[in-house]
Amino acid sequence: MMMKNDTFKESSSFRDNFGSVYHSNGNILRTVNKVAEKNFHTLNEKNIFKESIDKGFLIDFEILDKDQHPDSLKDYNIILKAQKISFISYPYEWTFNQLKDAAIHHLNFQIFLLKLNCVLRDASAFNIQFYKGKPVFIDIMSLEEYKNGEYWSGYKQFCENFLNPLLLGHLKNIKHNDLFRGSIEGLDTVLLNKLLSFKDKISFNIFTHVVLQSKFLQQDINNPKATREKKNKLKKFKKTSYLYMLNQLKTWISKLKLKENKSIWGKYEKCNTYTEKSLSEKEKIVSQFVKKIQPNKLIDLGCNNGQFCKIALENGAKEVVGVDFDINAISNTYRMSKKDNFNLLPLFIDLSNPSPNQGWRQLERQGFKERFKCDAAIALAIEHHLIIGKNVPIDEFIDWIIDFGKFGLLEFIPKEDETIKDMLSTKEDIYFDYSQKNFEKELSKKANIINTYTLADSKRILYEYKTL
Amino acid sequence: MIKYLFIFYLSFLLAFDAQAYIDPGSGSIIIQAIIGVIATVGTTATIYWRKIKDFFKKDKKKDDDEK
Repeated sequence: MMMKNDTFKESSSFRDNFGSVYHSNGNILRTVNKVAEKNFHTLNEKNIFKESIDKGFLIDFEILDKDQHPDSLKDYNIILKAQKISFISYPYEWTFNQLKDAAIHHLNFQIFLLKLNCVLRDASAFNIQFYKGKPVFIDIMSLEEYKNGEYWSGYKQFCENFLNPLLLGHLKNIKHNDLFRGSIEGLDTVLLNKLLSFKDKISFNIFTHVVLQSKFLQQDINNPKATREKKNKLKKFKKTSYLYMLNQLKTWISKLKLKENKSIWGKYEKCNTYTEKSLSEKEKIVSQFVKKIQPNKLIDLGCNNGQFCKIALENGAKEVVGVDFDINAISNTYRMSKKDNFNLLPLFIDLSNPSPNQGWRQLERQGFKERFKCDAAIALAIEHHLIIGKNVPIDEFIDWIIDFGKFGLLEFIPKEDETIKDMLSTKEDIYFDYSQKNFEKELSKKANIINTYTLADSKRILYEYKTL
Repeated sequence: MIKYLFIFYLSFLLAFDAQAYIDPGSGSIIIQAIIGVIATVGTTATIYWRKIKDFFKKDKKKDDDEK
């Protein structure tokens, strides 16, 4: 049976000459280019793909029969249908521990493959995605046979995409997100070398992977011919050395921690107690809402430490994304999700300045809103951060929020609330139209308000809505 | 000797400015060769160190047995 021709190329799929990614009738297809067919057959016959999938390293896929190939992809002999991941996320949206887990996943996969005489040809963090709460490698065409004596071609990229951003967190307590978002190739080793202090550099690992590498990269820039000649004279890289390097990096990275972890927990405890009464009421409302809607995909905008994500999952949501602009809160959400094995994707997102469309043609990496269309959205205690905190007009806020899903639960905080009083104590109150009446009026223009709940001890209001 | 090693170490701790962006991979491959050599030296040293330790352990064991 021929598929209907609703097939288009994924805009980020242009770097690899061995295969491309297509969207086709809601499926993810990976074409294998003619030059890569031999490599694909060899690995497939050796069961490398199957073993990698079984071990949880590689995304599951099936080889499509010829008669299932879409019309527009008829020229390809091999097309793979890969397991679809609902939410694509980027390393600059991950917490330190998410990036660390992705790095260890990459190294474990490399070690596993090398023992089977295979390697990964690159080391981009964008090739790792979180599926059902765990990291998984998605770029099937990145696997290739190991050539005796070859060097690790992805080493530089591994440092830029994983090691360097993690070192920035570990040594300087600087979150990698802003720098990574600014430069989607990762954090340059030369730049990191400049940021580290003399004391930081008195370490064998830092000296070799950062200081020395930076020095050679500089030489490469200043005198490329000489460096290339030097490189060409190098002996073959022993497989044992290759494995040693991967294992050494793995041991080192597993020990990396964000500095001042204690304060994170301190804040967590504090955040968790101050709204205890209204919290239990809200929990009830959220669980009722989710039970009724039974969404496949739900987004929690401003998820704090993830307690409502947890409630949503326990009450029937199949997949949940939780976003917050507080890196400590989102780190706690990931910690909880990992511990309880939830199908939850916590992401660091500043809703007033979320991830943009960027990269080549500004289509390579999609913006936040393009990737997170859900069936339902909950937004508890965030509207005031945007309307009062960032001066976002009420109508624009409503327009923006109802676009996340057909169903929603939205909390409005009145001006007399302590939180808003606090916010207005340091700035002039120019929010003349900020009232429950106006908020409700704007929401009604775009959605049917199904239920309204007033929280007993605070006059905060929760609106349950369905978009028009 | 230690003094020279320290000066060698110090010379790498200075940062330089990037001028252009050409074939940046070569530098990263050279560093792998260095790590490879360190790995080989390290592994060899560990093997010999173990042998030395075993030699003395045996000696000690012999002494203990004789006692």
